[in-house]
Amino acid sequence: MDLLAQVLINGILLGGLYAIMALGLALVWGVLNIVNLAHGAFIMLGAYLAWHLYHYLGIDPFLGLPITAIVMFGVGYAVQRGILNLIVRAPMFNTLLITFGIEVVLTYLAQLAFSADFRTINPSYAGSNIAVGPVVIPTVRLAAFGVAIALTVAMWLFLLRTKLGRAIRATAQNLVAARLYGVEPRHLYAMTFGIGIGLAGVAGGLYGTVSQINPYIGATLTAKCFAIAIIGGLDNPLGVIVGGLVLGIIESLAILYIGATFGDVASFGVLVLVLIVRPSGLLGRTA
Amino acid sequence: MSAILEIDHVTRRFAGLIAVNDVSFTLNEGEILGVIGPNGAGKTTLVSLISGTLAPSSGDIRFQGHSITALPAFRRARLGIGRTFQIMRPFPGLSVLDNVAVGALFGHGKGTSDLEEARKKARRHLEFVGLDRFADQRADELGGPGRKRLELAKALAMEPKLLLCDEVMAGLNHVEIDEVIDVIRKVRDSGITILVIEHVIKAIKSLSDRLLVIHHGEKIADGEPDAVLSDKTVVEAYLGKRRA
Amino acid sequence: MSIWTRIAIAVVIVAILAALPWFGSDVVVQFGISTLILAVLAQGWNIIGGYTGYASFGNSTFFGLGAYGVAIAMVQWHLPFWVGMVFGAAMAVAFAILLGLPVLRLKGHYFAIATLALAQVVAAIVSNIPLFGQNIGLVLPPLNNDAMFYELALALLVAATLTVAWLTRSRFGFGLIAIRENEEGAAVMGVNTTLYKVMAFALSGLFSALAGGIQAYWITFLDPASAFDISLNVKMIIMAVFGGPGTIFGPVVGAFVLSAISEVLSSEITSVAGLFFGIVVVAAVVLMPRGLADIIRHFRTSGWRYFIQNVKAHRI
Repeated sequence: MDLLAQVLINGILLGGLYAIMALGLALVWGVLNIVNLAHGAFIMLGAYLAWHLYHYLGIDPFLGLPITAIVMFGVGYAVQRGILNLIVRAPMFNTLLITFGIEVVLTYLAQLAFSADFRTINPSYAGSNIAVGPVVIPTVRLAAFGVAIALTVAMWLFLLRTKLGRAIRATAQNLVAARLYGVEPRHLYAMTFGIGIGLAGVAGGLYGTVSQINPYIGATLTAKCFAIAIIGGLDNPLGVIVGGLVLGIIESLAILYIGATFGDVASFGVLVLVLIVRPSGLLGRTA
Repeated sequence: MSAILEIDHVTRRFAGLIAVNDVSFTLNEGEILGVIGPNGAGKTTLVSLISGTLAPSSGDIRFQGHSITALPAFRRARLGIGRTFQIMRPFPGLSVLDNVAVGALFGHGKGTSDLEEARKKARRHLEFVGLDRFADQRADELGGPGRKRLELAKALAMEPKLLLCDEVMAGLNHVEIDEVIDVIRKVRDSGITILVIEHVIKAIKSLSDRLLVIHHGEKIADGEPDAVLSDKTVVEAYLGKRRA
Repeated sequence: MSIWTRIAIAVVIVAILAALPWFGSDVVVQFGISTLILAVLAQGWNIIGGYTGYASFGNSTFFGLGAYGVAIAMVQWHLPFWVGMVFGAAMAVAFAILLGLPVLRLKGHYFAIATLALAQVVAAIVSNIPLFGQNIGLVLPPLNNDAMFYELALALLVAATLTVAWLTRSRFGFGLIAIRENEEGAAVMGVNTTLYKVMAFALSGLFSALAGGIQAYWITFLDPASAFDISLNVKMIIMAVFGGPGTIFGPVVGAFVLSAISEVLSSEITSVAGLFFGIVVVAAVVLMPRGLADIIRHFRTSGWRYFIQNVKAHRI
């Protein structure tokens, strides 16, 4: 029983991190109708950025998150404005291919710049735990979970309450709507992608504190983000919290009860099932 | 006259909305039945229910005496039900000729499996609707009126027994409407039963043997065109109460 | 060009390719084998992706099942190679039918992602089954006869290309194209869309599986990571789209050109070859989104403006 409780806690903490990883992907998908296959690579870049801030400038990984977010936002804005805006109206294959191309480029650049070695961000408090009865909660994971959930909720409020947020949501239905809000569509698309990549950057910074990073983690992370976005649906940013938690818990349970190599089987199996049963996501609108 | 199509208490609900409500009518062989009604009355839904792209929530649809309610769209097409789409949806990347050839390759029965023969048939149907000059163009290069005719040619190439025309005259000018009316009459004379959905009352009145009026998803009148169009409830539904 | 001229040219090209092992060096023949296998995969993907319009990311699964069919038959059951090919193809076709039925109901991105996820599930399941050698993999008996593998791969490519050529002239192929262009429109005209999609998926899977079988015997080693490599699937899509999806020769030309580019890059600038590959993909999607086949068709009339027109058509 204690073991199950521990596994559930681990799953929930992991799920919070998954939520913020997928948030940017879901936002870009929902608004721009681009499934960004490079999303995981941007998470990877964010993780390396946080690692460098910590190792060379001594900036605490959590305090460094705003810097990571701003830099990655700039990168995202530039990529959308410079490249993706050129193909926004092209067929789906092409948007998939171009983001895959970007993924390849980012992965190789990272390999050239950072080498293929594993890195970890290890602040002094990395090993500390909080014990709640029989369950042990690692401080860093708890903090990462808290930041992830807080940011996801903040994102939700931003989309709901601010003028730019409303313009972005309106654009998800139709591009002309952006003009009604007085925002130039190209700028709006770039802002949306920038925000998505900024969130990926933060997710990367958090990921670096709880897991090892290398240039190749991107592809798997992208796949998981898909799964989460699909389970949660694209309509509501809070959906990714549910999607993240579902995936985190299922993975943890599968690893415990079936075997360590079955974590991914479980998560992708759930994805396929959800797609077949409810293509608009567990929480999405029914078509 | 025997019934080719029987609609028996058919209802279709969408989330929170009844698009077609308990509608029943029969269509006799060789007849042209006009279906009119204000926008959003459920006319297109009715066509989709008959052609099989939508399933009814309740009720039964019989074609030549056999229930087709449970059959998928392609099976109904093979039994001899052809339809046109109000929102014209050709196969955009194919040539006009090949768009129609698809109808001849599949369509009623099982179609032909010989591509050259299908194209030959397609060319005849294009001539029939007056599109033969555009045979080698891409379908998405056709203008609105051309696409309306293409929809007709595609459906005719299926060699259907029953043709469902969903607003084939909307957006056409007087000359073009007269031409389409002519084509539809010729289609009927070749032995095909026709259900026409239309907004243009004048056109449909002269064309139809019988008129059916749908309002808010319900059938409110069914009979001789002149009698139906002077019916009080129909006038109210169409023109609003003030003018009635 | 008349149809007979084209056939004559195709026959000459195939004859020259078939003669390659007699005058080419070992390195060239090996490059030839891997290129031909990629071309078969691109051509196989063309059936479901290019002609039917379903962006499958599951074709690497067919490849993997085909490879394992050969490996299991030869290593675990000591059966001949061709029995393994049949076994692998059967597994792939069965997989395509069983999973195609639910998955092919999904459209657009959702289909793409479902097949991507399925590929991961299969890879993970296989790596836990003893018959498949689990994570360690299987080592096949080596056969030092590259010319044979080369001719086999070439024959398979010719078969795949003839099948696609047949598609463009057959009722079945017209049904697939109609589904790609407008699925609902196809259904009301009498196309059995479900059956046709599943058949296209299975046919696509058949060729991918046979390519996988040749690859396994040629490389003589197989593990889940190499058999179910997702990037292989992305490669076949890129090759097909680069050459021209939904055309008879586009995917083959795309595979040859891109393989040549990446071969030259990896010998000239080893460390950054992958980087350049990525850049080529990005540039190709922006400048020539409908592939080489479309360039050949339109370059004569629009010249260099072709590229600018493409960008203008798809940007905002």
